[in-house]
Amino acid sequence: MHWFTFSPNDFSVAFLSVLFEGVPFLLLGSLISGFVDVFVSSERLAKILPKNPAAAIALSGLLGVIFPMCECGSVVVIRRFIRKGLPLSCAVTYMLAAPIVSPIVALSTVTAFRGNRPWEMMSLRLGIGYLIAIAAGFIVYCFPARSILQPGLVKAEEAPKRRSGLGFAAAPVETDPQRDFSEIAGGASIPRKCILAIQSATADFLDVAFFFIVGTSIASLFNTAVNQQIILPFATQPFLAIVVLMVLAAIVALCSTTDAFVAASFATFPRTAKLAFLVFGPVFDLKLFWLYGLLFRRRFVILLPICLFIVILFICYQIFPVFH
Amino acid sequence: MNRLFSRWLPCVTLAAWSIVMLHYSDAPSGAFWKAIAKWTHLFSGRVDSFLIPAFRGYVLAAGVVLGIMALVFALFPADAECCTTAECSHPLSRFTFGKWLTFLILLVPVSVTAMFAPNAFGKNAMMNRGVLTDASALPQLAKTTTPSSAALNLPLPTKDGSPASSTPAPATAQANGAQKPSAENDYLERTPEGYIVAEVLDLLYAAQDPNLRKDFEGKTVQLIGQLMPDSGDNAKGNRFKAVRMFMTCCAADARPVATLVEATDAPKIPEMSWIKIVGTATFPIENGRRIAVLKATKVDKTDPPSETMLY
Repeated sequence: MHWFTFSPNDFSVAFLSVLFEGVPFLLLGSLISGFVDVFVSSERLAKILPKNPAAAIALSGLLGVIFPMCECGSVVVIRRFIRKGLPLSCAVTYMLAAPIVSPIVALSTVTAFRGNRPWEMMSLRLGIGYLIAIAAGFIVYCFPARSILQPGLVKAEEAPKRRSGLGFAAAPVETDPQRDFSEIAGGASIPRKCILAIQSATADFLDVAFFFIVGTSIASLFNTAVNQQIILPFATQPFLAIVVLMVLAAIVALCSTTDAFVAASFATFPRTAKLAFLVFGPVFDLKLFWLYGLLFRRRFVILLPICLFIVILFICYQIFPVFH
Repeated sequence: MNRLFSRWLPCVTLAAWSIVMLHYSDAPSGAFWKAIAKWTHLFSGRVDSFLIPAFRGYVLAAGVVLGIMALVFALFPADAECCTTAECSHPLSRFTFGKWLTFLILLVPVSVTAMFAPNAFGKNAMMNRGVLTDASALPQLAKTTTPSSAALNLPLPTKDGSPASSTPAPATAQANGAQKPSAENDYLERTPEGYIVAEVLDLLYAAQDPNLRKDFEGKTVQLIGQLMPDSGDNAKGNRFKAVRMFMTCCAADARPVATLVEATDAPKIPEMSWIKIVGTATFPIENGRRIAVLKATKVDKTDPPSETMLY
């Protein structure tokens, strides 16, 4: 059998299933983003995190515990937080940690691996995910935001505060691009604020949906057209097994809340390879590649997954002897 | 032109997505919604073929929210200031052609796939994912039962020591609450003729679990699946597979699972047709593995089940 055989019907089924699974969470993220935009001022947001940068980054990595969000939704939310002036290092830490360090993910991992050292797998997944996220946060802290972020997202003191994105769902008429959106809405009535929040959420949703569609299309193509039997021979070689499952995680683009069930089904693969799948998948996949492009400069979008891939591969390969 | 991009096209996009979501979603409970479903193309319930029950309600909610967003956009216009001043982060939006392309990408794939997508994967996706005839590679496995059976059931060498033999609950039991593993078999659903109604997964799990096996072994079973030829140990040419897709979350992660069926003659039914098989469940050991083989007495073409996916 060929390694690549495309069927439009199969593509449609995979595409729609990822769409139905992902859109509600994208929408939730957009709504949170919209209401934060209107109802939470930059000053109030600044008070949430400690002033000490290290403590702020460490705390950001744990926000997913009280504010769980899958990877699609977290990108939308942090875009808004960055616009509101949240430090980029904290935003990146939350973005990478929230899809892993959350009670939903912990529960699904334990359930999926039950009877097969579930607590060990869950602890390692959340632990490594957290450490990688805060490490990324500290690295990002060392660089100026303008070298990482898209120009439209750089905070007020570095550039005029404007609504970025595709723009067809732009801010209301009275918007002054130099002012915080919550200030504009400050004097408005509650119904008017809600309309502004929905408009803001819609703008975010349409921006992200574009990249989501592109990423989902590519993932669905690989998901249905590529013969997955070609990866089986790699299962018995630890290094290659880890690499293969990490690549697969990036290609199939599963939701972090449920990917553990899929990982558990790779019976012939080592546990460390499954762990790598579970840590790498939520922080990078084909749809996230496009979503990250909405936030970050192209260089960062390429460097981030490469660094994450190498670090996760290294960690999982090093703990292989302990696991087995 | 600005109003087109800043108001009407977003509105159309949101409305189109809303209609797709509402068309596929399940109808809310109540006679009113059933009537709406009957007289419109909404609430077809087709989402059941794409998502597990836990996620289905979110599709309905998303459809409603997207509809509200479309309405807000239609009634309360917004401007396109950032677009006209080229401050947008996405390069496509800076040009008229790019804006059109953006809306095409937002509208066309969703609309076209929603209109033409079938409710199940075809043979191509099944073959690419590899048809499993062994439950050891499926999720939700519990602890090993007996060391001897573990050695028999391991399909491929494992490096992680994951249990090769397990005592999972039947998939249908987890999904429908219809069957629960027990030493007694009076919990099993039966046809009016008295045949045990089984799913593909039940027999696969039974092959690995001695307790569950007792409920099926030697009994007459009725099973529904899609017909696929067996390319394995089939020298006589009288074996074929009854295949179902098993999803853990959504159709994108679904894997084909199959029970081997043995008949006196291969059925004269096209491949991938839905078939209803009546036969005796057996669990022979072949090539060092205990497998499930349904010795068919009757194979008929049938309609697809209401839910084509197992979960």
